[in-house]
Amino acid sequence: MIAAQPLSDLLPPEALASVDSSPLFGGRPPEAIVRPASVEEVAALLSWASREGVGVLTMASGHRVAPVTREGRFVALRMDRLNAIEAYEAADLTITAGAGAPFSSVTRALGENDQWAPFDPADVAARSLGGLVAAGESGPLRMGYGELRNHVLGARVVTGDGRTLDLGGRVVKNVAGFDVLKAVVGSRGGLAAITSVCLRAFPRPEVDRVLVRTEPTVRAAAGLALAVGTAPVLPASCVVVDRLSERGERAALVVRLHGSRATVDEEQVRMERHVGVPFEVVGDVGTGADAASSESTRRLLEGVRDHVKSDGTVVVASVRPSRLPRLLEVVDRLGPLALSCDAYTGLVRVEADPERITELDLLRRDVIALDGAIRQERISSTAMRGSADPLSPHDDRRDASAAGRTALARRLETAFDPAGALWPART
Amino acid sequence: MTGPLPPRLERELRSVVGADHVITDPDRLMVYESDGLTAYRVAPRAVVLPASTEEVSEVVRLLHGADIEIVPRGAGTGLSGGALPTPDGVIVGTARMNKILSIDAADRLALVQPGVVNARLTEATRPHGLYYAPDPSSQSTCTLGGNVAENSGGPHCLKYGVTSRYVTGLTVVMAGGEVVRLGGAGHEASGELDLVGLFVGSEGCFGIATEIEVRLLPLTEGVRTLLGIFDTMEAAGHAVTSIIGSGLMPAAVEIIDKATIEAVEASIFAAGYPTDAGAALVIEFDGTEAGLDADADRAERCCLREGAREVRRASSETERAALWKGRKKAFGAMGRIAPDLLVQDATVPRTRLPEVLAEISRIGERYGLKIANVFHAGDGNLHPNLLFDRTDAEELARVEKASHEIMSLCVAVGGTITGEHGVGVDKRGYMGLVHDEVELDMLRRVRRVFDPGGLFNPGKVVPDAVDAGALPEVSEVAS
Ligand SMILES: Cc1cc2nc3c(=O)[nH]c(=O)nc-3n(C[C@H](O)[C@H](O)[C@H](O)COP(=O)(O)OP(=O)(O)OC[C@H]3O[C@@H](n4cnc5c(N)ncnc54)[C@H](O)[C@@H]3O)c2cc1C
Ligand SMILES: Cc1cc2nc3c(=O)[nH]c(=O)nc-3n(C[C@H](O)[C@H](O)[C@H](O)COP(=O)(O)OP(=O)(O)OC[C@H]3O[C@@H](n4cnc5c(N)ncnc54)[C@H](O)[C@@H]3O)c2cc1C
Repeated sequence: MIAAQPLSDLLPPEALASVDSSPLFGGRPPEAIVRPASVEEVAALLSWASREGVGVLTMASGHRVAPVTREGRFVALRMDRLNAIEAYEAADLTITAGAGAPFSSVTRALGENDQWAPFDPADVAARSLGGLVAAGESGPLRMGYGELRNHVLGARVVTGDGRTLDLGGRVVKNVAGFDVLKAVVGSRGGLAAITSVCLRAFPRPEVDRVLVRTEPTVRAAAGLALAVGTAPVLPASCVVVDRLSERGERAALVVRLHGSRATVDEEQVRMERHVGVPFEVVGDVGTGADAASSESTRRLLEGVRDHVKSDGTVVVASVRPSRLPRLLEVVDRLGPLALSCDAYTGLVRVEADPERITELDLLRRDVIALDGAIRQERISSTAMRGSADPLSPHDDRRDASAAGRTALARRLETAFDPAGALWPART
Repeated sequence: MTGPLPPRLERELRSVVGADHVITDPDRLMVYESDGLTAYRVAPRAVVLPASTEEVSEVVRLLHGADIEIVPRGAGTGLSGGALPTPDGVIVGTARMNKILSIDAADRLALVQPGVVNARLTEATRPHGLYYAPDPSSQSTCTLGGNVAENSGGPHCLKYGVTSRYVTGLTVVMAGGEVVRLGGAGHEASGELDLVGLFVGSEGCFGIATEIEVRLLPLTEGVRTLLGIFDTMEAAGHAVTSIIGSGLMPAAVEIIDKATIEAVEASIFAAGYPTDAGAALVIEFDGTEAGLDADADRAERCCLREGAREVRRASSETERAALWKGRKKAFGAMGRIAPDLLVQDATVPRTRLPEVLAEISRIGERYGLKIANVFHAGDGNLHPNLLFDRTDAEELARVEKASHEIMSLCVAVGGTITGEHGVGVDKRGYMGLVHDEVELDMLRRVRRVFDPGGLFNPGKVVPDAVDAGALPEVSEVAS
């Protein structure tokens, strides 16, 4: 048995931050907060942790990290010093940056060339690039642009036992070996620590038209959203929110159309004809749009995007879009304080009434009956309730192959992290 | 162990799939000796053709019990040897699993069996105003199971993305015959690891996909097709960068080089491309009618600015087909000028295309080989086609050396060794160019996650000390 090695032997003092007793960890602070400045330091930390049997909680700002309910030693790994824009090849439409780079800084860099990365999950403006990829959430714009996982061209990651892997590359088409990168996207720090990411960029659309239709109820708005979903045009996104304060607190359907002005004009006509009701043009964002209206439209979009505040008790549920009306009935039992719904993927996010969250286990049965999924996304730091590890993925389907699926997921975690050093990968 | 199957196992297999659907007659097995990479040929011990998930599961269980390797096979159009038999193995083909199980127009989803031919899905969904976007040039033959296994692309994947963007769920038969359902529309919120994304592109090494759920798109209203004629390949390459860099979002941008134009024009597929041109560029825009002309005008200006000698525009569906003809019939036409064709596949950052193409042509000269390029330029996805005669061992050796240099070149400029055809057996030897030992080891570990015993497609994709000897090198086969 080799004597325990202190972290300070491995890492320079700058990489060891002081530990505050932030409520982030559920009142149980880590024994160290490590802030590496290189992939080598990340690798040194993780191989140390695997050897010493210490847990590592990977995080950026840490706001999406579960409260620590596990026993045992652990350290927090913060990526905020790995924040450089490493390479931006505007002509190739690719950008590579450190995982700790704020997504907003990536967006800013791309904006200089009239490019962007079309991902709009809630709070995206506050996320790190690595946190976004680890969460694997694309946001409603996936309707027009496809999912985040298809636009992460490459990533450098460190496995739980300190192996550094360059996954993918910097080109848009790449099938040189199994697509391990796909598994890392959305793995929430459970397979590997992401240290840098190469994203595909897109040219900004000439016009980003924002259309709104207010309705007395969420169900009515969702019904219209389903009609939009079968229109002969493919909008960039189609979102329902339970209220839009700019529009008198009524439920609203918000549709974005992207393209040239001529295209967008015509698509609006075709969509309205198909749905059978007119929409209100809130405004156009983009070149040629009136600056003031552009700014207020942008603010409205941000309001819609971040409508379900992430610091509450957030539950996410999904079904096939056509079953959304039934899912909305089910989640209504959570006494939603705020609700938004991505009609394209059938994903609903609700900020639940903290008093009603105990209903979650009962709702699960109903969601399974709809062949859907439901999970608590976050526990508010003030109201920590629920089961032991409520943020861990649930395999909701009770179909015959659930065990097989879980076994595959566990084996995959072991392949990446044999010692189980990465938290909160497992309970 | 090679040779015929143990009689008892053969009987059991026949009782599962029906007597006619286990092929052991050597004459009938010949069809299965290779896929689209014809330089390699290995006779399988048998071919089994199940018709359902249950039959696949039972067949896999029996073969697993007898410790017999399994090579999944769709239509056999793969270009990297993915469906090449192993000498000890049995082919499990999906030819009879060709049903479209459901089309859900409201949710824009389809559930299909893996043997459904790519183009058939679009035909079947068109009456619903929908289509399946990934369109490999082989789409009239290749299967969705093969597309999933290779994560295939196609000309229109520039705008629409490759197969993985469209696969939402899979039913997979694993090594012991166990059936596992992965993903599925409506499970967005599950927070599970993305096993569907991982399975797509697994080249038959993880298990057999027996049901595939895919997303469909609404049919596009209009289309504009342009053909730019250039004096040099370099100018055509610059035009590609200029079009994409201008913020346009073409559906497809394909390059056809001089050698290919000559081959096409000398064949029954003659498309009316000028034979003295250095390169032709097929550019297509699709979407809502309004705005398409403006996009086409801008692309035309980009071409002219980069020195296009002429830009043609299709004004009817017939003319559009004519402009595409040179691209679509290129492989068929090349068959006329050489007995064998090695379709290479690599991706480079788009901006590096001109220099890479110039260097590939120098490599061809150095090895005395004819190389014809026809490829997905908008994605930087190259297909240098090396023409040769596989009965000429010396020429074949030059083909291998030239391929190696082309791969090294693509990697050196920041690209990779395959963009859409996969690694199979053909690219195993190049994996070291893009992955270090730690990464290769990780690929092996991930494979064992799905297939701990190495039953499926052994020897493919990852060079493995243990099974490297299992498959012959290309030059051995030929000599
Ligand atoms: C100053 C500030 C205050 C904020 N206050 C609040 C607030 O009070 N309430 C609130 O809801 N939101 C708040 N936000 C927004 C919130 O932080 C973001 O929405 C988002 O949760 C943060 O994402 P992240 O990138 O920091 O990832 P994190 O929240 O740190 O992590 C998300 C997930 O990804 C994993 N992960 C992160 N980085 C990596 C990586 N590099 N490799 C592998 N896995 C990784 C983590 O383990 C975790 O599972 C605040 C943001 C800031 C900047
Ligand atoms: C003329 C021509 C043009 C082509 N153009 C393109 C192109 O534009 N883009 C492109 O990407 N490719 C292209 N290809 C390559 C090829 O068509 C694709 O790779 C295609 O997806 C293979 O499908 P298949 O059904 O023929 O599969 P096969 O060749 O039979 O098999 C391919 C691989 O998939 C595995 N497999 C097959 N079915 C299953 C299953 N159900 N479950 C698990 N594994 C399975 C096999 O084991 C093998 O590894 C072209 C080929 C030709 C001949």
